[in-house]
Amino acid sequence: MDNTHSHAPTLPCRVRVGTSGYSYTEWIDAKFYPPGTRTGSMLACYAETFNITELNYTWYQMPRSQAIERMRRKVPPDFSFAAKLTRTLTHDIDADTWRKQALQYRDGIAPLMQTRQLAAILIQFPKSFTRTVQNRKYLALLLDELAGLPAAVEFRHASWATDRVFAELEKRRTTLVAVDEPDLPGLFPCLDVVTSPHLFYIRFHGRNAKGWRCGNMQKQFDYHYSDAELRQWSDLYIKPMTGRTRSGIIFFNNHVRGQAPDNARHLIRILTEQGLM
Amino acid sequence: MERAIIHLNVADFAVAVERVIDPRLAGRPVIIAPGKASRAAVYDMSDEAYRSGIRKGMLLGRAVRLRRDAAVIVPHMDRYDRAMHALLKQALPYSPLIESGPDDGHLFMDVTGTHRLLGPPVDIAWRLHRQIKNDLGLNPIWSVAPNKLVAKAASRLVKPVGEYIVASGDESRALAPLSLCLVPGIEKADLIRLHEFNLTHVFQVAALSLTQLEMPFGRRAPSIYKAVRGIDGSPVLPVGQSPPVISVGHEFSEDTNDAPALERHMYRLVEQAGHSLRKRCLAARRIGICLNYTDGKRCIRQARARPATANDLDLFEVAGRALLAAWKRRVRIRHLALVCDGLVFPPAQMALFENDRQHREKRAGVVGAMDAVRHRFGPGAIHMGRTL
Repeated sequence: MDNTHSHAPTLPCRVRVGTSGYSYTEWIDAKFYPPGTRTGSMLACYAETFNITELNYTWYQMPRSQAIERMRRKVPPDFSFAAKLTRTLTHDIDADTWRKQALQYRDGIAPLMQTRQLAAILIQFPKSFTRTVQNRKYLALLLDELAGLPAAVEFRHASWATDRVFAELEKRRTTLVAVDEPDLPGLFPCLDVVTSPHLFYIRFHGRNAKGWRCGNMQKQFDYHYSDAELRQWSDLYIKPMTGRTRSGIIFFNNHVRGQAPDNARHLIRILTEQGLM
Repeated sequence: MERAIIHLNVADFAVAVERVIDPRLAGRPVIIAPGKASRAAVYDMSDEAYRSGIRKGMLLGRAVRLRRDAAVIVPHMDRYDRAMHALLKQALPYSPLIESGPDDGHLFMDVTGTHRLLGPPVDIAWRLHRQIKNDLGLNPIWSVAPNKLVAKAASRLVKPVGEYIVASGDESRALAPLSLCLVPGIEKADLIRLHEFNLTHVFQVAALSLTQLEMPFGRRAPSIYKAVRGIDGSPVLPVGQSPPVISVGHEFSEDTNDAPALERHMYRLVEQAGHSLRKRCLAARRIGICLNYTDGKRCIRQARARPATANDLDLFEVAGRALLAAWKRRVRIRHLALVCDGLVFPPAQMALFENDRQHREKRAGVVGAMDAVRHRFGPGAIHMGRTL
């Protein structure tokens, strides 16, 4: 696969590492949060360890500006968010209402844009979203509708792994999300393609091939990355990607039993050792 | 431990079920009402019909005049019952604590502490919603909140479709901008009183202290104080453990305000309820009378039975007190319902005085003898004179 879709940045790349979501009561059992931590105070507690998080709840529910503003006030000004695009724009698309939904989404996350705390909008499509003419058109229209927002696209289906797609994303300066997931047929491959000079975006989903398609998040994302696996990622992918963008964000989605914050902290140590952070 | 309550609500449940069976009804205004007689009352209606001003309990004739293109369908209670069971069946794998309403498309689920097994509550709610949509063709509203009150208010906010998540600690902030009529637990009489004070939104009432609320609302003040702050400690009852009640009703063939006729039918209802109680070896501590007037208005009043009883003659006395409290209008009555709740095992305590004991034994003897005759010769074999 060609990975030359890049621009040489002039400034050193700023890499931030965090987790996909932060509000997990099981992280209290995993000792990431102190005993008795209430859901409402988890973000402030999380921000003591990490400087970025990926908002998952915005996938389930359209973000509301008041709620986003309240959440933003709980973290320091240099803390950033990546917000997942609502499912009605990626998974349950209604041809009649999606444009209105996109506008609502823009309004919802406006407080993060205004304070420059929005690192990216994660547009994650399901595996059923294959590279058909209709879907290509929809993606193009959706990116037009989200113009001006730092969009990053994550494909789950392998049909999107072609140079034409990467070239189009590069033309639009839209980030292609690099993923680490189980090596299963039909899934989007693990690539170090960089399509935006501003941002690279990596998501670690875990490699639990057995639980991947069971429909239960607790099994799908139950995986712990070893030191060797993270070092390999750092050497083979992260290091080259940092040379081609101004910033990069990395998230661990293997939230089960607190494995995500554990792996995130471990990767920060590795990247710091290697002088990448 | 912080609680996680999921509320599922299939809006306009009866209409939603009818639309699954007959997809041609989708997008059309639909009214569910018994029979096509103009005096029939609306049982349920679609959102399209609601927007035209049609409401539950409205006379069918008036409803049809408001929306002449509406499809009028006779209620199929068996269908709604089956759909409700199917809904419950979908939810059962996620929690044993599921409370459902009577064929109304509402489910409360307590998923506190299930995260290790099933994942975050919000994901459970979404998965369940998707499952219900795929398997049953229904599209319920779902909400996730730290208690039942806030979850229900959240569902009302997005009706007829959508979802709402209220994080723990955000209860009062989520309710603050809402209209008071969206908050469960604030009754109609409270709303009228609050409007008299020009209080229409939650944040206005939430700014008042309990002492301030006690002045106009008296004993209702603590409930209102808690409701506007999203405080609700009531548990989600396990499946099949909703408080037992015995409910019977009579629809008059012609609306009436004739006292002897009303008493006659009430005694028949008392006989039915009393028989059910005795069959289950239970006694009622409270009896409620619900009157539905011709103009669609409803009045419910209750009276307490001391001690709890299952004897028809005693029940009739208590029901009479409730009826007297409920029947304050000259408008004719269309439907009379009698509800026995606070069901307990019959008290073993005997009357202190000989006269009372003899009186009770005499009454128990009469009812017991009538039960025996009915058991042997059928329910119509013997009647009280006042029911004829």
